[in-house]
Amino acid sequence: MCEVLLGVWLAAASAAATPDAVTILEKAERSVLGEQAAYTLRMTVVRPKKPERVVEMKGWKKGDALGLVRYTSPPKERGTAYLRNGENTWMFLPAAEKVVRVGDKQNFGGGDFQNSDIFRLSLAADYDPTLAGEETVDGEACWLLELKAKDRSVAYDRVRYWVRRDGTYFPVRAEYYTISGKKLKWLTLAAVEKLGRRARPTALTMESALDAGAHTTLRFLTIDDDVKLDDRLFTTSALERGE
Amino acid sequence: MTAGAAALLLAQVSLGVEHLHFRTAETELNRDNVLGLSEGANLLRGTASVRASRGAARVVFRGVAERRFGFGEDETELAVREAYLQVGGVAGFVRGGRQRVTWGSGFAWNPTNRLEPPKNPLNTGLEQKGVLALRGDWSPTKAATLTVVAARVETRPGDLPIALTSAKKNGGAGRLALLVANTDVAAVVSVRQERSPLFGLDLARGLGAGLTAHVEAALYRGSELAPPRQETFVRMAAGALYTRGESALALEYFHNGEGYGDRERAAWRAALKAAPVISLAYLAAAATPYSGLGLGRDYVHVSWTRSVANGRWGLSMRAVASVTDGGVTLTPGVSYAPSGRVTVNADGLLPLGPADSEYRLAPVRGGLVTRVKVSY
Repeated sequence: MCEVLLGVWLAAASAAATPDAVTILEKAERSVLGEQAAYTLRMTVVRPKKPERVVEMKGWKKGDALGLVRYTSPPKERGTAYLRNGENTWMFLPAAEKVVRVGDKQNFGGGDFQNSDIFRLSLAADYDPTLAGEETVDGEACWLLELKAKDRSVAYDRVRYWVRRDGTYFPVRAEYYTISGKKLKWLTLAAVEKLGRRARPTALTMESALDAGAHTTLRFLTIDDDVKLDDRLFTTSALERGE
Repeated sequence: MTAGAAALLLAQVSLGVEHLHFRTAETELNRDNVLGLSEGANLLRGTASVRASRGAARVVFRGVAERRFGFGEDETELAVREAYLQVGGVAGFVRGGRQRVTWGSGFAWNPTNRLEPPKNPLNTGLEQKGVLALRGDWSPTKAATLTVVAARVETRPGDLPIALTSAKKNGGAGRLALLVANTDVAAVVSVRQERSPLFGLDLARGLGAGLTAHVEAALYRGSELAPPRQETFVRMAAGALYTRGESALALEYFHNGEGYGDRERAAWRAALKAAPVISLAYLAAAATPYSGLGLGRDYVHVSWTRSVANGRWGLSMRAVASVTDGGVTLTPGVSYAPSGRVTVNADGLLPLGPADSEYRLAPVRGGLVTRVKVSY
């Protein structure tokens, strides 16, 4: 009898210890970059049999809606910048000194990330998550979340998302699918190390299912978690003004 | 000054060479070769730009030394494309000096921008000279920016095989830009000496699936194209941009309300033919297509660009067609970046269409623009 009660209690405790899918997703997203952050980033675009393309940039994010990225290297691309405000993305072209609205499906910086991957800052806002199970990925016990797009405005209809169960909520892997169920690409989050105030995954690699061997890695170089950003940093005027 | 401090101050230096080659001919706009053009006229330019910033201040200089060959009177000219000081904070900035005023959502035409020479719709990638101006931007919120500009307005377009004089007038403009329901909404009022005010409205928004659309329109009284007409005119650029992966496709329609229809065009050509070559009347008529935003009333611009070989190569094809007269100018282009510091661009210019169309009447039969830039 005692064993039965203990079993029931353990099962209940286990269920209580498992957060719901929305909570897991929100915590996972915040585990990489918090509510506000200023960071520097190196993007490496690898294409089979072609020279690597390396771009460095500075970025700022505030909440789920506001993001700004400015290229700092190489010299020929310095000044190129992207701004995100809610559903809207603009690009600043330094040669033409012009701000242009761009779509979500443009490849960010010529790599495997789309603008929406970089700037659609909240998966929780755009997808309905469900807890699909538990799996081990790269030796880490993970929750598997199935994310279903809330509407057709997002780039992917379905996302499979693995999050570490060890209390860190670090995302480990994400797979992106079309509406027909075809896997388009997958993201691996690795190189957990202390950057800024805490440890987090610092290397995000996107690989394309359509182009074998092609991949793009975003590597955080610095992160400032303590920055307090004014909303007006995220205007097209500020985009044009430069740093 | 220490090396570290210098590095903080000096952000970017670029040096470049631009060569514009024009294959020219005697046409109605260059009767008896009054412009003195050689068969192959050339502009050779050395360019330099410096962009430095420290704290809230930024200094920008872009200059050019230009030598003309085959233009009758070959000459060397030094010009400043931009030279300004900008001081700003999170709420906005103030910028004084020669600068570009690049507002407007239009790609090839910006009818709400009457402060600087119109950009060349045949090749929007060419760098342009700015105007002397004092500009202030103030953003009270993340969704609103008020811009006020006082400028010494210039109207002469650049990069032409024809040396045009530019009338400089005092002018100014105010632009209120808002983000409303995911739509860029901007209202413009622009004034200039000896001209009635221009009122502009600019709308742009994303439509999803990689597509954006825009409409930029201006309403003003009094024509810019000869002959003077005290009517109210509308100019409007409406278009869309589709981006996916490494490619971008842009389409834009431009309506120039004061542009010539068949009757006005016939009258202009008759005046051009009747005027003696060596006369102010002829030169004025020959300069007419360059005095506004084109001679015709309706144009279509299409451009396609694609990045290949991991960003090292870029391909582009642009076309501008005059719906009014059937003329088309193709501008194919290629760019190459052998390293992170060097870019090489080559753009062709090929006017096609009926012999009496706007682009074929011009003395340019073809062109090649080559640019090399090294950035540090």
